Amino acid sequence: MAWRIGVDIGGTFTDLCAAEEETGTVRTLKVLSRPDAPGADVALAIAELSRVHGVDLGEVIRFTHGTTVGVNTIIQRRGAKLALFATDGFTDVLELARLRMPDAYSLFGERAAPLVTKDCALPIGGRMLANGQELEPIDRASVAAAVRAAQAKGCAGVVICLLHAWRNPAHEIAVAALVAELAPELFVFRSTEIWPAIREYERSSTAVLNGYVHPRVSLYLERLEAALAEAGVPARPLITRSNGGVMAARQGKRDCVGMLLSGTACGVMGAAFVAAEAGVRHAATLDVGGTSADVALLRDGQAQFAAGENVGGFPLFVPSVAVSSIGAGGGSIASVDAFGMLKVGPDSAGSTPGPACYGRGGTQATLTDAFAVRGVLGHGALGYGAVKPDMASARAAVGAIAGKLGLGIEETAEAIAAVAVSAMYLEFSKMFARNAVDLDDLTLIAFGGAGPMVGCQVARELGVSRVLVPRSPGVVCALGGLVAEIRNDMVRTVMLPLEDESLAPMREGWAALAAASEVWLAEVGEPGAAGLLQYSADMRYRGQSYEIEVPVTDMSLAALAEGFHTQHRAVFDHADPAAPVEVVNLRVAIRAGAQKVTSPTLAPASGPPPSEPIRIFLDGAWQEVKLYQRDALRLGHEIAGPAVVAQEDTTLLLPTGSHATVQAQGHLMVEL
Amino acid sequence: MRTDPVTLQIIANHIRAAAEGMAYTLYRTAHSTFVKETEDFTIQVLDATGKTTATPMDLGATWYPGVDYGEAIAYIPEMKPGDVCACSDPYSGYLSTHAPDLHVWRPVFHEGEIVAFTSGHIHNTDVGGAVPASLSRALTDVQQEGIRLPPVRLVKEGTIDPELLAVLLTNVRVPEQNLGDLKALLGATATGERRIRGMIERFGITRFKDGLADLMDYAEAQARSVLASIPDGDYEFTDYCDEDLPGGEPVRLALKLSIRGDSAILDFTGTDPQVAASLNVPTGGRERHTLVLVGVYYVLFTLNKGITLNYGLTRPFTCIMPEGTVVNPVWPAAVGMRSLTCARLRSLVFGAFCRAAPERMPAAPAGSSSIVNVMTSDDRTGRRLIAAINPIVGGGGGMPHRDGTDGSGADAAYLKNSPIEITEAEVPIRILKYGLAMDTGGAGETRGGTATELMFTVANPGSMVTARNRDRCRFRPWGTLGGQPGIGSTFTLNPGGNRQRELGNVDTVKLDPGDVLRIVSPGGGGRGDPFTRDPSHVLADVRAGYVSAAAAAREYGVAVVDDAVDQTATATLREGHTPHEGLYAFGPERLAHEAVWTQAVYAEMGRAMEAAPLHWRAFLKKALFEAMGSEVVEDPVAKLRAALAVLAERHPALAKVAATA
Repeated sequence: MAWRIGVDIGGTFTDLCAAEEETGTVRTLKVLSRPDAPGADVALAIAELSRVHGVDLGEVIRFTHGTTVGVNTIIQRRGAKLALFATDGFTDVLELARLRMPDAYSLFGERAAPLVTKDCALPIGGRMLANGQELEPIDRASVAAAVRAAQAKGCAGVVICLLHAWRNPAHEIAVAALVAELAPELFVFRSTEIWPAIREYERSSTAVLNGYVHPRVSLYLERLEAALAEAGVPARPLITRSNGGVMAARQGKRDCVGMLLSGTACGVMGAAFVAAEAGVRHAATLDVGGTSADVALLRDGQAQFAAGENVGGFPLFVPSVAVSSIGAGGGSIASVDAFGMLKVGPDSAGSTPGPACYGRGGTQATLTDAFAVRGVLGHGALGYGAVKPDMASARAAVGAIAGKLGLGIEETAEAIAAVAVSAMYLEFSKMFARNAVDLDDLTLIAFGGAGPMVGCQVARELGVSRVLVPRSPGVVCALGGLVAEIRNDMVRTVMLPLEDESLAPMREGWAALAAASEVWLAEVGEPGAAGLLQYSADMRYRGQSYEIEVPVTDMSLAALAEGFHTQHRAVFDHADPAAPVEVVNLRVAIRAGAQKVTSPTLAPASGPPPSEPIRIFLDGAWQEVKLYQRDALRLGHEIAGPAVVAQEDTTLLLPTGSHATVQAQGHLMVEL
Repeated sequence: MRTDPVTLQIIANHIRAAAEGMAYTLYRTAHSTFVKETEDFTIQVLDATGKTTATPMDLGATWYPGVDYGEAIAYIPEMKPGDVCACSDPYSGYLSTHAPDLHVWRPVFHEGEIVAFTSGHIHNTDVGGAVPASLSRALTDVQQEGIRLPPVRLVKEGTIDPELLAVLLTNVRVPEQNLGDLKALLGATATGERRIRGMIERFGITRFKDGLADLMDYAEAQARSVLASIPDGDYEFTDYCDEDLPGGEPVRLALKLSIRGDSAILDFTGTDPQVAASLNVPTGGRERHTLVLVGVYYVLFTLNKGITLNYGLTRPFTCIMPEGTVVNPVWPAAVGMRSLTCARLRSLVFGAFCRAAPERMPAAPAGSSSIVNVMTSDDRTGRRLIAAINPIVGGGGGMPHRDGTDGSGADAAYLKNSPIEITEAEVPIRILKYGLAMDTGGAGETRGGTATELMFTVANPGSMVTARNRDRCRFRPWGTLGGQPGIGSTFTLNPGGNRQRELGNVDTVKLDPGDVLRIVSPGGGGRGDPFTRDPSHVLADVRAGYVSAAAAAREYGVAVVDDAVDQTATATLREGHTPHEGLYAFGPERLAHEAVWTQAVYAEMGRAMEAAPLHWRAFLKKALFEAMGSEVVEDPVAKLRAALAVLAERHPALAKVAATA
């Protein structure tokens, strides 16, 4: 039996999904992560998968993997010591960034310190103009001096980002060659090989992120390849990417930024897969973990893309699945301020020590503890049996808050949940306003360990009337990796007015990108994967300082203009067909190897689902409700709220007046 | 409190959501780059009396969390559902503070009663008047500063008044842009109205109204607790704008901050008379006008990051702003460039709080954020082309716990720059340098943030460069607790050559091909004795190029030799060092000014001003500055009195001026 496997390593748990090729049967597993043993952890996890589900590792034909090694390197600031070679006069590009700082009201506001210290930002003589003409040639002596300085400062690598390389990369290429000649021990990245778009800070930041994580990511992927080979896995590993697709692990050793946000991207892709199975077109996804909640949009079933996503305080300008992160999760800590106001978060108990009810030394009341006190949690093990709930600790922690509020313990627990939900509502409503989301026909997809716990309440606050809870809410990321296509994005900045004379160079540009995309696809080395090319252009009205991406199917002037005005109206509510339009970037995406996975269909229900009575605190009072086990639910089963549905990776709270139906693939559709 | 603390926190999140939703809607649908890029707009949810109950924190300018629309609202009684009022006249209701700012308010009705308003403002790039973009320091009357709307019903039961709109749009230079932004603002307030209705449905009208009132009480309590944590006392501070008109005299801003328990009075008596240029700050003397309290918002937020931003914050404060001064000008004084003075008002407030709580406050931020624009011609099309090159912002002041941020931060943290590559691709100029400038941050145990430097050259003849809001060329960002002031700003034509010319606070300059223009912002003030700064931090600063080796030795007493600290030489340099005395270090320029213009001289001039008719005061100030000159004399008060006597004799209208002497 041939298998496809998806493995997603998170901070606390490693999630696994396996699909059997002939029947499409999907198996899932969650094991504790081993951050102490990078590389080996994957081997241990798949050995466990083999043991539990009988997966023959010698029959694995596709192996996709998501890792947080890159993003952790940045957050923990444990990356390579780098030098930045920048055009003389502009070496402070990382220090100045785009000037604007977070926390505009504070005199103590600060920005993350650049990943290249100012003393390692070194000037390179020579100047390219915006039209691609050379004003001054590269000053070889300045390169030699910069190399000597980088060596003296103990740098491991060099990132080169020179002005107007987006138009003409000759200077960057020349400097890279010189560095290779003078100091072959230094690894080198050119900004234009990472993402060759106009805007020097964004290009520098992206290239620096790439160089910063490169040694660790590269080492990790080498160990991964070795571990899989040793385990007898024949498939060459694929790595999940920020754009929701996959690439060869081998490519990831240089294209490191491509994977930085793969964790959140995979969650959205997994949710998109679930949405398709459930027949949902427009959705907002809510992935709640221990420390944060990730929120994204699906339009017509498709994930939305953005550039400039934030990684540890630095903008990443490669196309990524657009995800907003909220500092509210199951571990968010409740507190009462000096004026008696109840706050939840932004501090989190994280996974260590975790909520008080985890019994690992946590003493502060968290959102999870609030649900434990209310009797919603604790009817089985938490987190795949990894944690046995400690109710006494949860009550003690919530009791401390109750004392300050002058409320009962249970009332306090319900209040903590309500305040946390209102904070999520605030963040959701910002995202909805930013993206002009229409609430009609919108479904909230709630997953992650704590998503189903709060999903229905969040939806009610938002005025969303349906909540979809996937069959296995805890392994949606691994599922996203399992079903992911091979995908790559390429860009070329042209800065041309949208007029007849520009069409020839634009078509030429697209053709070059298409050819390069095919070469990239061949490098992935997946047999039989024919590429689907998607063309688009970033356009704007002349004078605007931002552009929007417009899909392109017809490269005629009229169609391009029409496409832009329509898109502009859709995004900004207005358009001006008479105003001159500018094409900033051309883009090509290549997609291949779509995975056909069908979740197994549940047997039809024969009689009501089994349940047992439990008591939970809801709507201000203890009530007897039914507790259902998710594994026992069958196609067509219906559950009326209030009720609780428990499963090994999460607990769903169905509020009063809600109604859930079990779908064919086991997903639960809740009507509120 | 009428509302339980749990419900109140939930209402706080919902009302913030309404405000943030409005701001995102405005930002998304606005037309002008000004609104989009500089985010020069604000949004509020007001209670039924027009006081701000919520404001967004993600987007927009930071000036109006405590704004009170009440006085402007009172101009138009009997609003109906679907009506929206607007106002841009700085002298009608003291809401809009210069003509380009158009404020609107939309009532939210519940059972026939107004229970809230949704409101906001946009800065229109141009509203007509004497100069493009409507703003110039040189303008003298508000009538020159573009079309002004007194409070008017702009939208009547859902329809924009077409006649009023025609008047408005006929008087501006790019009408379609103003209209586009106006529609976006109207749309945003409509979004807000829907959100508020949703809240009333969700919480009930009583809990909604009580919730808004309690949120203001909550913010007030938070503000009072910050004040209560600061010792009682009277804390005086003065700061100066460099010039009261192009090439003019300094503008003195004076403040006495009196903290008693959990309340404070901000008395601006002693502040210079209103000026003939457009630097006046129109407050109407309203005792809680938001423009003079912006510095207070920063201080409160800095000292308590969890503070709630609404009108309640302003309640513990009472401001005294004598009529006819630059902080309470009388119609028709020009006010277009009041943002320059507002920056100085913020540092004035920071300075007073610094005297009150020096251990908790940073040194002065750079305090001058000038926006550099170029008007040139496009060789391809021959068209005139106006483009923003970059805002030039300096660093923050040294903080109790770390160095000031370099090249940005503090009260200028909201500004964004433009990529060099985009500017050069669109505008025929070439940028030679854009970066941080060495030795510009004030030396201190925590260093002031460095200045930003921009240097460029133009390709075409007759290119006009404007740099609005230039200040702090003369009076530097002060250091505190032994820290040194940051460097003053400079504006230089053709630096280094024999054609070099210092332009000072000039804000418009014409360039021809080959000319090079350099602008350096001020640097942030340093905090604490620099001779106590950890030598390893000084070494790191030298390595990075924040500080030169020479300055390390001179300012910090640290000898950096061959990329290392020479311990012996450092010990010698630091031996016998006497730290700077006094809480503040202002720099030689201010000391020289105050040697002539002592506190007593200013007090005497203040008395004379009170005796002079309003419209004579700017003249009187100019005449007195001429009389006093720059020479330090033994009895400067006598010199001033002599000058007053001469003036009184020469000008009958000034007769009383001498009588006071």
